[in-house]
This record gives sequence, structure tokens and C-alpha cells, in this order.
Amino acid sequence: MRCFNIMLAGVGGQGLVLTTSIICGAAFAAGYDVKSNDVIGLSQRGGKVWGSVKIAEKVYSPNIPAGEADVLVALEPLEADRWKGCLRKDGIIIVNTGEMPPAHVAAEKMEYPPDIIKRLSESFKLYAIDAVAEGKRLGSPKVANTFLIGILARYLELPREAWQEAISANVPAGFLDMNIKAFDIGYDLLSQE
Amino acid sequence: MQRGDFMSGKVLMTGNQAIARGFYEAGGLVAASYPGSPTVEILETIKHEYKQIYSEFSVNEKVALEVAMGASFAGARALASMKHVGVNIASDPLMTFTQTRTAGGFVLVSGDDPGMASSQNEQDNRLLGKFANMAVLDPSDSQEAKDFTKLALELSEAYGMPVMLRITSRLCHSRSAVELSERVEKPAEGFLPDKSNFNMIPPNTFKKQHEMRARIESLSKAAMELGINFLEDGSGKEALIITSGLAYNNLLELGLDIPVLKLGLVYPLPVEKIRQLSKAYKRLIVIEEMTPFIENELKINGIACEGKEHFSFTGELGSEEIEAGLYKAGLVDEERFSGKSIEDKSVAPRLPLFCAGCPHRPVFDILKKSGRKVIGDIGCYSLAGIFPIEVLDTTISMGSSLGTIKGMAKALKLSGKSEPLVAVIGDSTFFHSGMTGMVNLLHQMDPEDNMTVIILNNGTTAMTGGQHTASSGSYAGEDDMHVDIEGLLRAMGFENVIAVDQFKYKEAKDAIDNEIKRPGLSIVITTRPCALRFKIKEPYFRVDPNICIACRSCIRTNCPPLRMKKYEGIEKLKSSINPDMCVGCSVCAQVCPVSAIKRISEGVE
Repeated sequence: MRCFNIMLAGVGGQGLVLTTSIICGAAFAAGYDVKSNDVIGLSQRGGKVWGSVKIAEKVYSPNIPAGEADVLVALEPLEADRWKGCLRKDGIIIVNTGEMPPAHVAAEKMEYPPDIIKRLSESFKLYAIDAVAEGKRLGSPKVANTFLIGILARYLELPREAWQEAISANVPAGFLDMNIKAFDIGYDLLSQE
Repeated sequence: MQRGDFMSGKVLMTGNQAIARGFYEAGGLVAASYPGSPTVEILETIKHEYKQIYSEFSVNEKVALEVAMGASFAGARALASMKHVGVNIASDPLMTFTQTRTAGGFVLVSGDDPGMASSQNEQDNRLLGKFANMAVLDPSDSQEAKDFTKLALELSEAYGMPVMLRITSRLCHSRSAVELSERVEKPAEGFLPDKSNFNMIPPNTFKKQHEMRARIESLSKAAMELGINFLEDGSGKEALIITSGLAYNNLLELGLDIPVLKLGLVYPLPVEKIRQLSKAYKRLIVIEEMTPFIENELKINGIACEGKEHFSFTGELGSEEIEAGLYKAGLVDEERFSGKSIEDKSVAPRLPLFCAGCPHRPVFDILKKSGRKVIGDIGCYSLAGIFPIEVLDTTISMGSSLGTIKGMAKALKLSGKSEPLVAVIGDSTFFHSGMTGMVNLLHQMDPEDNMTVIILNNGTTAMTGGQHTASSGSYAGEDDMHVDIEGLLRAMGFENVIAVDQFKYKEAKDAIDNEIKRPGLSIVITTRPCALRFKIKEPYFRVDPNICIACRSCIRTNCPPLRMKKYEGIEKLKSSINPDMCVGCSVCAQVCPVSAIKRISEGVE
């Protein structure tokens, strides 16, 4: 497998660190070198958060320069819009459609763009899923990000067992079955196309 | 942390986890810290995974350093970890401790923050390491973070000095593969009294100046033999790049054919080796984040080099910035990344907010309405200085609000410009370095100086993820410190001390407004705990759009679930609450002038 770069973006509190950890764990379990980044700290609550995962035979820097990401996994549409510059021309966006308006929008100083998904899908191959609603259907909105991981898994040449191992190493035992189901739904979404 | 099947024996770890692991493997016995991003995870990992080690989040970094220092005196391997500005707090014991010949190995981990992802400044603690006559190690990935922690302890014992492990925020949180080893026990020898070594008063300190100099000189000579400073040859003798830390890996990512001297030990430098080496190249180019530390060390020693004329003195140096600098220096022919940006700055900003149910929200709503000038401090409530709350007028450093409010009140009085002033400080910050400023308010207290100090007692060091404070025991049974802040203040001699429940909005507002009006010093302690650590799970609220008058009183509390929305059949935008995010704290309902916001259990459609 050539070097595969995944950029993640979301809102503080959405579980980006855990999502990053699952992706790293799957690639590492499959025998690849992995480096990742999580930008956290002051931005942990309600602020923008982003991270990266690089997978290859040998990885030096955990950072992904502009225009070098293969996939952008966005936990929120505005964050997909913010970080689209990371993507290659043939890059892919996997996005949760649930909107979280930032303070400037709530305070009516700025508009939340109404057409993000449509606009981005004109430039990139894009998969959109209302992951929180899907999660609630399965039993908990907490599994939302796992649908996105399932979609992502179709693009990475990693054995399914590696994903299962990584999910079980990262999520609480009580939520394991629900997460595996969410992963499977995301994974099978593409085969239905 | 996960195990790789094919990369046998290796696991993925963040830089922070790797440091904790290194300390464990090295037989470390005592570790202390005060929570601060980016290093908070080091002590949390030790606490949860390596129970053989005594570990604590101390009340502040100075105490943490002293706890670790005491363990080192007793012959144990010890670690103190803190964010870069934490080292400022710990500098007083550090600058004198460093004169002693260490017994047990001592490593000070400094988490620097180039680019200020989560800090109030960008100080480069390599300078502090040199100032303190300590060796400074600078890892470039998690494997080195672990190896250098062990090496730091070995060097500390071999050279009799405390050693700094300087790590940057990006590496603290970056995961990469680490090969594990078993723990090697290292029992403490016991405290072997040596009065001339541990009593740092003159004349004992005179010879210490020479000892500190000698140990740095001797390490400088041995530095190339440690195996952590190494030359990676490339073709050509045009230029040699000298670099360290993450910048090294960001440089390798560019795949250039230029020789690189990679430094693991950045102070002292192997000066004579570099001088010899430099003769083979026309130019020396130093790539380092923040200050020109390595560059200046070389120049002081008469070795010509280039550096900051090509690379920024602030922020991180990613592969893009390194490429741009090397292009400017004429060492690469084209810029792959030029003009591209990963982040679209035209997209609406997303600033951090108080959580749904945060007990700070009503307090800052009340202060905003008061229109008074507010002296801030360090914690989650520092967010009240930025959009949209914008109530705090100053934010400087831990505990600084209490000295600041006093000085400002005195200066205004002398100039005939007195006005009521307010200061806010959280409980963790109060115990960290606010108590001294508080006692100092008793000195030359003028009953006409109108100061209101609000102690936001949420029982938690919240911003770093909910570590305990000296008052957590009042909220959580498992915490062993129950300092009663009100009792403490009364014992100090303060009389006007009141406690308010800020979720009783109108009572809290009346109380705070009254204290602001009253001349003299008033202290208000708020009593609600952190909503993140002590979750509120009440039935959520809904807005009745037919009652809502669209006044936006609730919106101005800046609670994440609140948003103006278009309702079917209603022309004007009305307020709304996202039920997935609302925790039921009721503050919005209490600020609503027309009772349009009700609990779901009260049957609003």
C-alpha cells in the first residue's frame, strides 16, 4: 500500500481523538507504520478540533501538508468546508451531516452556509450520512463516528479483523456490539451503490 | 495504546504515553505534576497504568518539582512534568536545586507549545534549561520520547545534574510506534546526608558554580558519543542542515538529498565536533522552532551558520514551512506546497465555548449585564475574554487576578478615578497561586477600595480534563482533599464572604450586584460543580415559539444548544433548543423575561 493520508476534523467533544485512535489501531494491527496527530487543548469544548493519520511502510512526519490528504473525515459539515484544502484533487470527503452552528452563527453575526454538502460534492467524491440520527436508530448517538469509520474502511486495504480489533480496544465493552453494527452499516453502504 | 501484530513487540503511543512508559521502565519511583496542556497525559498515564510509581497532581508546579526533588534527594528516580509556563512557577526551587549534585536521577519534562495551541505564551524552555545549567533533550517521535526519558535519568545520575526533556505540543499528542522493554527496578538508596551539597547557602554555593560549568563542558565533549546526535549523509558539500525534534521528521518527509545533523541533545551542543564537521560544508543551516537557540549557541562559539533569516521565529515548522525556508535559502529548486493552505480562513470561525450546563455561564451573564471591568485569570473561564462573551478585561497568568485588582484599585484611587472592580478566579487556580495574592489583599486594606472577588469553585481543574483540586472532596467522595474555601478565607481574616448558587439566577444576580455596589472588599464563592466532570442529567428544555418574543436574552447566554430558528407559520425567527445537547441546567429559562422556555416534563409541544 502506498502512503495513505487521512485528515479528521470536527468539534470539541465529538470524539475525534477516539476516532483517530481507532483508525491508527486498525492500520497498526495490520502491520503498517502509523503516525497521528490530535490538536486538542484550548479547543477541547465546542472549538474546532482536527487530527491526521498517516499510514505507510514507513512514516516520518505525522502532519499532512495541503493537498496531500486522500480522505477527509469530517464530523460536521462546516468543518469539512474549513479543511477541504488538505485534499488531493481526487480526494474523498466522508461527512456527518448533523450541523453544529458555531458561536458567530448562534449570535447571528454570520450565516451557516446552506449548501456546503452540495458545493463540496461538486469538487470531491463525497459520502454524507446523518450519523447521529443513524446512531440513535441503533441505540446511541455515541456510535455516530463509527459509521464514518465503516465508510472509510472501504478505502483502506486493511483486513476487517484489524478494524474489529481496533474498535474493541477503544470502545467500552457495553458499546462494542453497537459499534460493530455501526461499522458494518458504514462498510456496506458503498457496496450498495 | 494498541499492539501491532506484525510489528512485534511494538505498540502505538502518544509522546506523553511514551514518556510515562520510559519513566516506568527506568524504575522511576516518584512522579509529580500540575495539570497543563500539552503534558497532562503523562501523569494521568502513570497514575492509571503504572501503579508501582507514587504519582500525584500537586497543588502547583513548584510543589510538584519539590516533591520530585525530595524523592531524588532520597536516591529515587524522579520525574516532574509540566507545561512550559509551569516551569516558570517551579523556577525558584529549580534554579537552586540545579546547583546540587543529584542523587537519584531527575527529569523535568517541559511541554513547549510552538504555535500556542493551548497556552498564553510561546516561551522556548530550551533557554530556561540553559539558564538552569541543565542538559536539554529534544525528542522527535514517541520512541525517542521514551528512550530520552530513560537517557535523561541516566545522564542525571552520571553527571549529577537534573535534566530537562523538552517536548513540543504536537509530539505530546502524536502517536507513533514504540518498542517496549520490561521495568528494571531501581530502589532508592536512601537519603545520604551531604550538608555541603544539599544546603544551598554560601559558602557552599561558591564551588557549585564551577561544578555546574564543569559538568556541562564534560557533557558537551561526550555528546557525540551518546548515539542521539548523528549525521545522516547526503550527496554534496554545499550545505549541512542541523535540526532536532519534530522538525527533523518534517524535513525527512520532503525526501531531500541534503546531509543532516540530527540532534537529540540540544544543550550542551557537541560544539567541537560541529566545528570540525562544518569545515566540510560551505553552509550550515539550522532548522528549529521558536527562538534561534541552536543557531545562537553555534554563533557564540564562532561557528558561522544561517537559520532564522529563512525560518519563522514563531509557530510550528511543518514540512511546508521548512520547504519554503529552504527555497528561500536556495537549497531547493521548487516549492511543492507554495500558496496552498490546509485551512480555509474564510469559513466561519469556531471558537471554544462553555459547555451546556457550565456553571460559569450564569456568572458571566450577570457580569456582562453589570458592565463592570473584570480582571480574569487562567482556566476555562479565560474563554470569557473572547467572542461572544467578552467580559474579561485582563488575562495574564495563574493567580494573577488578585494582585492585579489590588494594584489597579490603588492606582485608580490615587488618580481620583476609583470605580468598582471585579476579579474572577477558579478553585484550582486559587489553590495553585491565588491564596498568596488573597492574603496580600489584607495588607493596607482601604474600606473605600471597591473590589469584588468571585471564586468560581467548580471542584475541578476543568480545562485540562477534570483533575482534582484541593476542594474536589466537597463534590466527589473519592477525592481526599476537602479544603473549605469559605472557612479558609474566614480564618485568613476576611469578613465579607458569601456563597451563592449560580443556578438560582435571580438570587445570584442580586447577590453579585449588591457586592459590586458595596464599598470595600467582598468575596463571592459560587458553588456549582463543573458540568463536564459532574454531569447534569435533568429533563431538557424547549422553547414555545408562540410565547417567545425574540428578545435573545437566552441566546446571549451562549449555550451551545440555543439558536434562533424559523418555525413553520411564524414570520419572525424565534429561539430554539437542540434537545440532543441540552442538559437541563435551566439558566436560559431563568433569563427569559416571558417564561417561554419550559422543561419538557412540563408538557410544552
